[in-house]
Parts: sequence; structure tokens; C-alpha cells
Amino acid sequence: MPLFVAGLSHRNAPVELREQLAVDEDKLRELLRDIAGMGILREALILSTCNRVEVYAVADVPGEARTATFRQLCRHRGVEPASVEAVLYTHAEGDAVRHAFRVASSLDSMMIGEPQILGQVKDAFALAQSCEAIGPALHSLFSQAFAVAKKVRTETEIARHAVSVSFAAVELAKKIFAGLDGKAVLLVGAGKMSELAARHLVEQGAFPLYVANRTWARAQELARALAGTPVPFEALPTALATVDIVIASTGAPEPVIRLGTVQRIVSARRGRPLFFIDIAVPRNVESAVGTLDGVYCYDIDDLKQVVDANIRERVREAHRAEALVEREVAKFLAKLGDVEVIPTIVSLRERLEAIRAGEVKRTLTRLPDVTPATREAIEALSTAIVNKILHAPITKLRESSRAGSPRSWLELVHELFGLGRNP
Amino acid sequence: MHQTLLTFAIIGYVAATGLALAYLVQREEVLHRLASLATLAAWVLHTIALLALAIDLGRPPLANLPDAVSVAVWVVVLLEMWLERRYGLSVLGAFVLPVALVFSLQSMPTRPLIGPALSGAWLWVHIGLALVGIAAFVLNFAGAVMYLLQEHQLKAKQRPGALYYTLPALATLDRLTYRTLALGFPFLTTGLILGVLWAGTAWGSVFTFDPLAFSSFVAWAVYAATLAGRAAGGWHGRRAAYFAIVGFAALVLTLGAGLFLPGKHGS
Repeated sequence: MPLFVAGLSHRNAPVELREQLAVDEDKLRELLRDIAGMGILREALILSTCNRVEVYAVADVPGEARTATFRQLCRHRGVEPASVEAVLYTHAEGDAVRHAFRVASSLDSMMIGEPQILGQVKDAFALAQSCEAIGPALHSLFSQAFAVAKKVRTETEIARHAVSVSFAAVELAKKIFAGLDGKAVLLVGAGKMSELAARHLVEQGAFPLYVANRTWARAQELARALAGTPVPFEALPTALATVDIVIASTGAPEPVIRLGTVQRIVSARRGRPLFFIDIAVPRNVESAVGTLDGVYCYDIDDLKQVVDANIRERVREAHRAEALVEREVAKFLAKLGDVEVIPTIVSLRERLEAIRAGEVKRTLTRLPDVTPATREAIEALSTAIVNKILHAPITKLRESSRAGSPRSWLELVHELFGLGRNP
Repeated sequence: MHQTLLTFAIIGYVAATGLALAYLVQREEVLHRLASLATLAAWVLHTIALLALAIDLGRPPLANLPDAVSVAVWVVVLLEMWLERRYGLSVLGAFVLPVALVFSLQSMPTRPLIGPALSGAWLWVHIGLALVGIAAFVLNFAGAVMYLLQEHQLKAKQRPGALYYTLPALATLDRLTYRTLALGFPFLTTGLILGVLWAGTAWGSVFTFDPLAFSSFVAWAVYAATLAGRAAGGWHGRRAAYFAIVGFAALVLTLGAGLFLPGKHGS
């Protein structure tokens, strides 16, 4: 099957060029129609994200198809074709399959394991499908790519560890508390990152949420937005004694939570751990707080260090994912060989089965007193003959397909067995 | 017969320990699977060895300390496999198997298998209960060690290492040490009480000095204190973990005393 993928991505093309080439949905429909109009591509899918623009296609003459497609794309986007040609990569056949699997599994992403790409590929597939640009080859390729992506996600830990500071904080909380169900959170100060961390915690089951702010109105507002309870800033020490997780991000020039304050409440907590997430710079929590028994204190640098380690984990897991993808590519290619010839094999079987069933029926009505045993024997005999006859042509079709040249054989079989319209 | 089987079982435990430790560092799932397989295989051999021994002796293999410890190891490994599956603690083996291995090495054929003349049904109960207690405390010890390692990871705030990823959450480990303590303590207590009563009838006095008995009371006291601290004082985490380790050290001394010092438990 002459399958290929051509495109450019964050790996080799500068962001300026990717920006220029990125196509929105409406334009994409138009482009797919124009490409179909050229009559060179049998099937096509265009994937356009901020990190890549790629065309997956089936064409009889891939080289020509690729050039024509990108010329069309450049015309649409008003980009000089020469600048695109220079960075364009092309993968054909098995390499194209591997590329599709790797992209869908987020192995080719800028941030390995990021979850958006799979959705983007699915959208691109749906769009191409709605433009009737998807045929059997791309259909089986992308169905399998989605399955492989899911497998990579569940069988490796590629997407398991947080790569953002706010998620890293949630992950640390889980390493301390196991589950976050019913863990009370106190948000001190406001800020985008702290609000995000609070939301993540609440999503994981943390409850209740308290909000303290120097400005009472701001505390009320934020509490409403996060479905929490506002507490006066002066009541901070009291609140500290009851909560499990504190997110601090005030703009105060010096610590608002001091060692002495925490020391006083620790014994009242009877050993329940207390986790400070200090996102503020300068820091809001005196760092010595972290030396107390059962108290954990992470500032922004500590969190970033966790993120760094997590990224290394992802890269490590990516090696395992690559091996998995490699196995899936081999499996797919073996199966793919058969895809093109399967409709013919099916109709061939159906044709011979119809003949067999008809003849058996005719014979049986003519024979008087047929015992069930005889009937069974006749059925078995005729089925065996049909299967023996079918064996050689079916094997030959599969072989020719795996060798990449099933066309003439398909036509031959259609002619010989009178299977109607040519494949 | 049973010695040969036991030797193979120990070889299996050695392999399982190696694989479990390798898994702790490498985090390759295949290592974990192999370790589990080796553990199971060794445990099955161990089971057959113990059965063969019991048939040979015509009684439970608890009458002398080396055999009894071998039974304890058997219980430890059983508990380890169960807890690992139950709580999804794939790293548990790396902490339990080395201890089990050290304990099982003492039952290698280096000493004659002649125990003191022991008899009486409740003697078996005394030994059996104490052994289940000890098995639970091996896991208690493993949980405490894991807790301290993970706590160190979280407190030190250096770049997280392999242990940060493989070890479970602190709360989970704390629960594990608490549960194993709560499980082991009643067994150990009842076992000791029966032992004292038996000593009263067999040795003529409850207060005869015996190194094993003495040090097992020390262990019992440490565990009792931990349990009380946990239940009443709200002890958590690090302190409870330190006590678990001290208690276990006392237990190891107990067994050491039984194996190597002359006394009424001596072999």
C-alpha cells in the first residue's frame, strides 16, 4: 500500500513557519476538498496543531502527491513553497505507520506524554472522515494508532508523573497522604498557580477548602469561585491547626507563617502530617518549618526539582513505550498486508459457498430418504472440496499483498471467478 | 529429603531477594514478575519441605528453634505475598525477603535436629502463636524501614530518587506498620502468656531465667509501648517507625539468644 506521511514539526521547523502553515478547521475542509480535486490522493488526513502540520495519505505516486499537496497547502497559507520544502520530512510505508503511532502516543511531542495530541489526532481523523477523505487504509491505520496510544498510556508510566508545578504539588500531597479524600486545604493569598493547585486538590477529593486573604472581600470572592469558606487573615494560626495542606502565595515581603506558630500547633495535631506548598517569592513560609516532625514544606524551587525529576522519568518510560510501538508496528504491517485483499477473499468465499449450498440443496431434494447422517456427509464433503479449491488462490492473494503488488492478482481472481466489479 | 528441599527453597529465596532488590532500583516490571514467581516457587518448595519434615517427625516441626524459625519464615513469606497483592505494594518483597532469607539461613543443616524434650498441646499453641506474631513483626519492620526511607525522600527535598517513585505513600506505609503491629501483638502476647504458664509447670517456676524468654519480654514491652502510644498518644509516622525497628531488634536478639546461648529454650 503506497502510504506516506509528509510534514514538519517542532523538531525541525521554526515556530514562525509552523504558525504560518497551521490550518484552522474550516480552511482544512477546503484544503481537503482541493486536494481531493487534484485526483492524485486516494485517501488523506491533515493534522494541524501548533507543533506540527502533517499530511497522511495514500497515493499511487507518493512523490508527486507529496509535492502537489504541499504546494496546495502553501498556496492556501500564502507561504513560499521553497521554505517549506527545505524542512519537510517524508516517511513511507512502515516508517509512516511508526510515525503515526508515535505521534498519537505522544512520543513525538515536545513534552513527551502530553495528553492533548491524541485528541487532536482524533479530531483530524473525524474531520477527514466527514470530508470523505478516509478510505480503508487510513481507517485501519488510525484505529490502530488510537489503540496503540491507549496501550502506551496504560502500560507505561509515560504520562503518570506531573510536569507542571501545580500538579507536582498534588503528586507530593498524594505521596504524603495516599488519598486526598477529606483532606482540608487552606489557601493563603491569591495567585493563578496557587488557585490552580487548589483546584487540582479539590478535584482529587480534598475537602473542605478555606481561603485566607489580607483583603476580606478578595477572600470572599475567591472562596465563592472555588466553593470554599473564607477565613479572616488573623485566624491563620487557628486554621493551621485543623487543615492538612496549606498553599501559600501572598505577595508579603517576609514570611507570614513562622516556625514558632507551626511549632505551637504541631502537638495539637497529634501526629497528623501537615504539608506546606509555598509558591510565593519571596517565600511565605519560614523554611525551618520543614524540619518539624510530620511537617513537609516545599517551596517553588523544590517543586521545580520534582518536575525535573518527573520529566526524566518520562524520558525513561519513553524508551519502554518506543519498544511497545515497535512491536505494534510489526503486528500492524503483518495484518495490513491482508487488508487490501480481504474484500476479494470474502467475496470469493461467498461466491463458492453460494454455489456449494445451491448444488447440495438440489442434490438432496432429488435423493429419496436421506438420513441425517448422509446429509451431514454430503455437507462435509462439499465444504471440504470448496476449502481445498480456495486454499491456493487465497494464499497467493495474501502473499502478493504482502509483497506489495496485489493489484494484478486481484483483477485476475475477479475475472476468473466472475466476482463482478473489479476491486 | 526435607533438607534438600529446604536448600532449594533457600536458593529460591536468594534469587527472589536479588530480583526484588533489582526491581527496587531498576523498576522494570519484568523483574517484579520474576521476583514474585521465584518467591512463590521457593515458598511451595518450603511448604513441601516442612510437610516432609512433619511426616518424618510425626509431629509439627516446632519443637526445636531452627525448625520453628523455618516455620516462621514460611508464614512471613505467605503474609508478604498476600499483602503485596492486597495493597499493590510491589516493593514490599525487597524489604521483607532479605529478612526472611537471613532467618531461613539459620535452618541450614549445621546443627543436630535434637530439641529439648517438649510436649503438651498448649506448648504447640505457645510456639505457633509466637511464630505468627514474629511473622507479623517482620512485616512491621519492613513497613517501618520503607516509611523512614520515603520520609527521608520527602523531607530531604533533593531531586527525587528511585525510592520516591517506587515506595508507596507515607500514609499507606504508616497504616501497614499499624495493622501489622495490631495483628502481631495479640499473637505474641498470648504466646508469651502460655509460655509463662507452661514454664510454671515444666520448669517448676515461672521466674526461671532464660535468655530467650527475657529478651522476648523486652520485645513485647517495646511493642506494647508502641501500641499504647499509637492508640492513646496519637503517635504517627517516624516515632512509631523507630519503635518498630527497636522492637524488631529485640525480637532478633530473642531468636539469637535461643539459637546461640545456653538456656531452657536452647537446642
